[in-house]
Amino acid sequence: MKYVDEFRNPELIKKTCAEIKRRVDPTRTYRIMEICGGHTHAIYRFGLKDLLPETIEFVHGPGCPVCVLPMARLDEGLSLSENPDVILTAFGDMMRVPGTQGTLLEHKARGRDIRMVYSPLDALKLAETNPERQVIFFAIGFETTAPSTALTLKRARLLGLKNFTVFCNHVVIAPPLKALLDSPDMRLDAFIGPGHVSTVIGCKPYEFIARDYQKPVVVSGFEPLDLLQSVLMIVKQLNQEEARVENQYARAVSWEGNLAAQKAMAETFSLRPRFEWRGLGQIPQSAFAVSEAYSEWDSEKRFAIVKTRTTEPFRARCGEVLQGLIKPNDCPLFANDCHPEHPTGALMVSSEGACAAYYTYVHRQQGVFE
Amino acid sequence: MVTLKTKVRLEAFGSCTLEEEGCSLCGDSAVPVEVLRVGEGFARVQDRLGQQTEVATDFMTDIRTGDVLLVHKGVALARGEVNEVR
Repeated sequence: MKYVDEFRNPELIKKTCAEIKRRVDPTRTYRIMEICGGHTHAIYRFGLKDLLPETIEFVHGPGCPVCVLPMARLDEGLSLSENPDVILTAFGDMMRVPGTQGTLLEHKARGRDIRMVYSPLDALKLAETNPERQVIFFAIGFETTAPSTALTLKRARLLGLKNFTVFCNHVVIAPPLKALLDSPDMRLDAFIGPGHVSTVIGCKPYEFIARDYQKPVVVSGFEPLDLLQSVLMIVKQLNQEEARVENQYARAVSWEGNLAAQKAMAETFSLRPRFEWRGLGQIPQSAFAVSEAYSEWDSEKRFAIVKTRTTEPFRARCGEVLQGLIKPNDCPLFANDCHPEHPTGALMVSSEGACAAYYTYVHRQQGVFE
Repeated sequence: MVTLKTKVRLEAFGSCTLEEEGCSLCGDSAVPVEVLRVGEGFARVQDRLGQQTEVATDFMTDIRTGDVLLVHKGVALARGEVNEVR
């Protein structure tokens, strides 16, 4: 198959659903975590959950970098913009994320020089055109986004830019999965692996899940048939008591990933000994810092950043949602104090967050039909 | 101008466009684009709606006009399988 109409072909979808139904063991449940927020949205947007037997349960994973960033890091990034010499740049999706002192957007409205960029390369251009100002890029994202920051750091060095730094919050996908698997509350049977993160890292980093924890992993595309095919592959593995890493999204993902991007990340980043994840706590070697070789372009080295500690909003249960222990609507704040127009927790801020997906595709639709 | 053939080739990799790419932080937002022109370290590309931009190609090798690339944050990260049929 090559074209989208084939990946959304109703006949093929019906056929795949029928095969899943035929193969599902009615005496057991299949708890499948989709790691990536994009998959969560695709499952609800296309109504896939309703097409599948009730014994197949989707659990939403930690694959949204905004959702897992602790408020303290946002506050620390925001504090950099207090310096009038600084232009703080960030992706648009970061602008509405609430820290304890408000969002980047609110601080921009109060007069701080905070600018939205599409790519870190745009922040670099800003530094070139504003040599009298210090330009800081608020870097965030998994291994899909990290290569663009890595490339930007390499170019900054090539250009010898003295007024550009990166406030690095890039995170790595495999360690939180290990943390989830090590949790005593863990009740997952299998994982749907992230599609585009895997274009960079390949499939190898997931091998420990199959080898050490005997859980199947299927790297999946984002079209309806991609996801259904991935579910079928998982059901087959679980029924046969197998645990392998399989690549359903082979039209974009190779087993080794993008080696050039991996090399650039290895050169410009080093793994932090530990990093705090919202809802998951401290996880060893789960985030990148700017490497020693590029320390000249590291905001944390150039500026004195006051480390802060924050607590989650009162009664918010973001952590339990992130771990797949409860559904978003089990949180007392869901759709009450916390909704997309006025998010309290991070899972509602990002359009890829599990709570935002639930609100858009489940809660709102229920409202229509009530 | 995007031909129907190009449109369907790109849509095999999702519906994101250069203007609307979902949450830009998540791995889901890689934008499928077609290569229009190859330069030194960059390529001129278009998405399924015909919107054009230049993307960095430092992490890719042997890019040719007509290739499908997956782009994230202005950087090409992967090639779409449909390119294998050249």
